Amino acid sequence: MDLSLTIRGRRLENPVGVASGTFGYGSEYESLIDIDAIGALYTKAVTLEPRPGNAMPRIVETAAGMLNSIGLANVGSRRFVTEKFPFLSQRRCAVIVNVAGSAEEDYCQTLEYLEENAPLWGYEINVSCPNVKHGGISIGSDPHQVESLTAALRKLTERPIIVKLSPNVTDITEPARAAEAGGADALTCINTVVGMMIDTRRKAPVIPGVTGGLSGPAIFPIGLAAVYRTARAVRIPVIGLGGIMEADHAIQYLLAGASAIQIGTANFVDPEVTGNVLDGIYRFAERERIEAIEDFHQFID
Amino acid sequence: MEHHATLVLRNRSIAKDYYELLFAWPEGLEPPKPGQFLTIRIADIAMPLLRRPFAVSGYDSRSKTAGIIYQRVGPATRMLAAADAGDMLDMLIPLGNWFPEPEPDATPVLVAGGIGMGPIFYFARSVRAQMLRSADRRSVGRRSPEQRAENREPVLVLGARNVAYLPTEDVLEGLEPVICTDDGSRGFAGTVVDYLKSAGVGKEAEAVLYACGPNPMLEALAAFAAERKLPLWVSMEQTMGCAVGACMGCAIPVHGPARYARVCTEGPVFDAKEIVWTSR
Repeated sequence: MDLSLTIRGRRLENPVGVASGTFGYGSEYESLIDIDAIGALYTKAVTLEPRPGNAMPRIVETAAGMLNSIGLANVGSRRFVTEKFPFLSQRRCAVIVNVAGSAEEDYCQTLEYLEENAPLWGYEINVSCPNVKHGGISIGSDPHQVESLTAALRKLTERPIIVKLSPNVTDITEPARAAEAGGADALTCINTVVGMMIDTRRKAPVIPGVTGGLSGPAIFPIGLAAVYRTARAVRIPVIGLGGIMEADHAIQYLLAGASAIQIGTANFVDPEVTGNVLDGIYRFAERERIEAIEDFHQFID
Repeated sequence: MEHHATLVLRNRSIAKDYYELLFAWPEGLEPPKPGQFLTIRIADIAMPLLRRPFAVSGYDSRSKTAGIIYQRVGPATRMLAAADAGDMLDMLIPLGNWFPEPEPDATPVLVAGGIGMGPIFYFARSVRAQMLRSADRRSVGRRSPEQRAENREPVLVLGARNVAYLPTEDVLEGLEPVICTDDGSRGFAGTVVDYLKSAGVGKEAEAVLYACGPNPMLEALAAFAAERKLPLWVSMEQTMGCAVGACMGCAIPVHGPARYARVCTEGPVFDAKEIVWTSR
């Protein structure tokens, strides 16, 4: 059995990754788990300049989920190179840098800078953050901008480009096709779902920015449907996430058409979840005589 | 920081809505320092989802037991309040930084507000034990109150809304706190800052303040400390995602270029001067 995935000539040894924004820059979890055993480590988003992030509170728990509005708080590309890259470059697992920006130019400058100074496995392009005024989902919900941005980034690197899509659109297959047309090597579905909570005592939104991004088990069926539809609309691999808490959820994503998965919020709940999910996938594959990732895709039309 | 299943030894109500939970400290794990915290995965289901952070309220090195004092406020703490001796709890432990030890010539003034009593009680016991050890080196035998003062033993102030929120006597054993209640139902009538002002605490330049409690109390205390030019260390609280520094969720505003600091990693203990106070 070989459940690895090759994207643009580069391998992901196993299908279980950790989602951007939930795993910092890796070293935060070093004392808790074997990071090298993860299939792919998607870093916290990196922007050209450092960003302080949004006002507090940034997190509120919801029914079977959590709403966050972190606001892409990150150290910026220069400190990423000096402070985070040394640790990440020593990892045996695939390290995929999540790149974010306010406009096409930002993304390009950031990727160019990283390509030069912090070459890693590849890039995940964040066009789906719901918590920033510019960039993020404002690009990701417009197929023209998605295609144009992907095409511009394609010219800057031979490393894999994975475009991370938002579920906050009428038809997710439109930005998906646009990213493929622009030259993306794979797609990630889904980023968080826009949500809101109000504190009735204060009669005000809990999150100062009013809305946030919903993650956790509450969004699992939304992510699964998005992957199911996207995988049928494009020829490139789809990486599924949204609400995976256990192996059965990950297997559902693979059966729906995902070629790999990511675990996000569940890392907060159980730091060892990635290893447990991977074990569960291997056990299922063995029982079902599945030899390769594509074999998962043969059951559901 | 390690991930452990820990054994609950006792879990009981100690005041209105307040509980103390004692558990066996994991074998071979470094002891917690006063101010550090832990997180508990309350249930093996999706609701409540996130781990909940609690400050360590005590540690006994002989029996290797530790505790937390927590308030029953919502579904998660209601479930925790139902835990019994013999149950196992899923903990990330120990987390965060700790209260810096007072200089030998300083008079520590420890201030707890409401459920903030947990880490302050632990710190008070730890400071007192350390001072007794150094006092023993100076003089042998029983000490008079005057000698205690001379030894600069810590002052402990506990503020509560009313008498119902004061813990049972056994929880306070050996702590001898000055009690303040907002409604005057026990001890000093007024806030902890009112008390500090009226008692002239901190007139001596060598006083150093340590506090944990609701943000408005900490903010008032920060103003008091700034006015008297006294150092103040505060233990802060914030909703947490990961509690290990990865998610940037538990940020609080601080002065300086970064603008925010993570309570779980840069804290929970901060120099009050670093914090941009926003509770008013």
